[in-house]
Amino acid sequence: MKILIADDEMMSRKLLQKTLERAGYEVTVVENGRQAAEQLCVPDGPRLALLDWVMPELDGPGVCREVRKTNVQSYVYMVLLTSKESKEDVVAGLESGADDYLTKPFDREELKARLRTGLRILSLEDRLIEAREEMRFQATHDGLTALWNRGVIVDLLGRELARSRREHVSTAILMCDLDHFKSVNDTYGHVTGDDVLKETAKRLLASVRSYDFVGRYGGEEFLVVLNNCKPAFAFARAQEICKAIAQKPMPSSSGPVPITMSLGLLLSQEWGLRPVEELLHEADVALYAAKVAGRNCVKLASPNVSLTAPELQEHDHVRMRR
Amino acid sequence: MHNAIINFTELLARVENDRELLRDLLLIFKGEFPGHLQALRDAVDSLDGDRVTAEAHTLKGMLANLAATSAADAAARLELLGQNRETSKFQDACSSFENVSKDLLLQLDRCMAEVGG
Repeated sequence: MKILIADDEMMSRKLLQKTLERAGYEVTVVENGRQAAEQLCVPDGPRLALLDWVMPELDGPGVCREVRKTNVQSYVYMVLLTSKESKEDVVAGLESGADDYLTKPFDREELKARLRTGLRILSLEDRLIEAREEMRFQATHDGLTALWNRGVIVDLLGRELARSRREHVSTAILMCDLDHFKSVNDTYGHVTGDDVLKETAKRLLASVRSYDFVGRYGGEEFLVVLNNCKPAFAFARAQEICKAIAQKPMPSSSGPVPITMSLGLLLSQEWGLRPVEELLHEADVALYAAKVAGRNCVKLASPNVSLTAPELQEHDHVRMRR
Repeated sequence: MHNAIINFTELLARVENDRELLRDLLLIFKGEFPGHLQALRDAVDSLDGDRVTAEAHTLKGMLANLAATSAADAAARLELLGQNRETSKFQDACSSFENVSKDLLLQLDRCMAEVGG
């Protein structure tokens, strides 16, 4: 564990440094409060600090205030180490944001014990952050495929559409659906079906750029958002996705499973200022057209082409079945 | 023989019997102390309460690290006088501190010899 010692007095620095190195700490030493605040506020800087009270440029309590004000990345456990020992000093030190207070000359064992307390608190904070991140991931990602979940991918699409309108570029929406997926579940069972979905997610991610978005939209439906994307590129990418899915059977616990994917492609620039829900519906209509055309292909949503009433009825029927 | 001002036993315990570290600390002290002592004397002569406080505080910390309790107490008295702006008491307190310091420096040399400095 890294620890910072800030003390303007050379003997104290030397003594503390040696004591803490012997105790297994990775020690950084500075001579004034300004340097201490800078070191403690850098990413991956020390998270434990021993601060002298009286120092040039910025005193110990000043360092505590500065760190508490600016350091947002992770908690820094700060111990004031000084010869000031009145109750008023203790209160002032702790009020400045210090976590603990030790008087000079320090007792070696007490110092180590108090630093162990600091380590316990930092470890507790790490576990809390880990749990929070885990919850955040679960709230935003699909549990099976680890892709963005439906709520998030639709939200990301909304933001991306707003951005592309501001910048007068096009966003491509790909509504993707595995063909005859129900028969995979029926033939091989749901475990194999899950394997196919996970592999599909991998192949989709491998087929797009790092700044594109891929989400699980429903059971075997996926939504891909290609940012800042010219029409020719979008169409080529959609066809590559088709190929990436169909080219090799999906590995699964039941052995290789051949499967294909149909895609509905929509280019936002062609659709003006329509709301997200409407664009998703139109991409879905294009997906239906791909299904009707024999599956394993891409169909482009066009604002000039609309389904007839019976086709719309059939589309809704197919959608419900899916 | 070293128990007059510097508590050598306590000092050795503080450095976990690391004589090399002790020698380094004594060398640092020997190098730093005269400058701070002079700065304190200058502050006292010019009746500058802030500087008396600051220099006495530094010396107090150094002496406490050296397990020189009586000398640290003398520095602490000067620090307090500085804080309270009791300028009329500066000279006497500083002279007392300088007397203690003379003995301390003599003892310091003996300590250095003992740890092989």
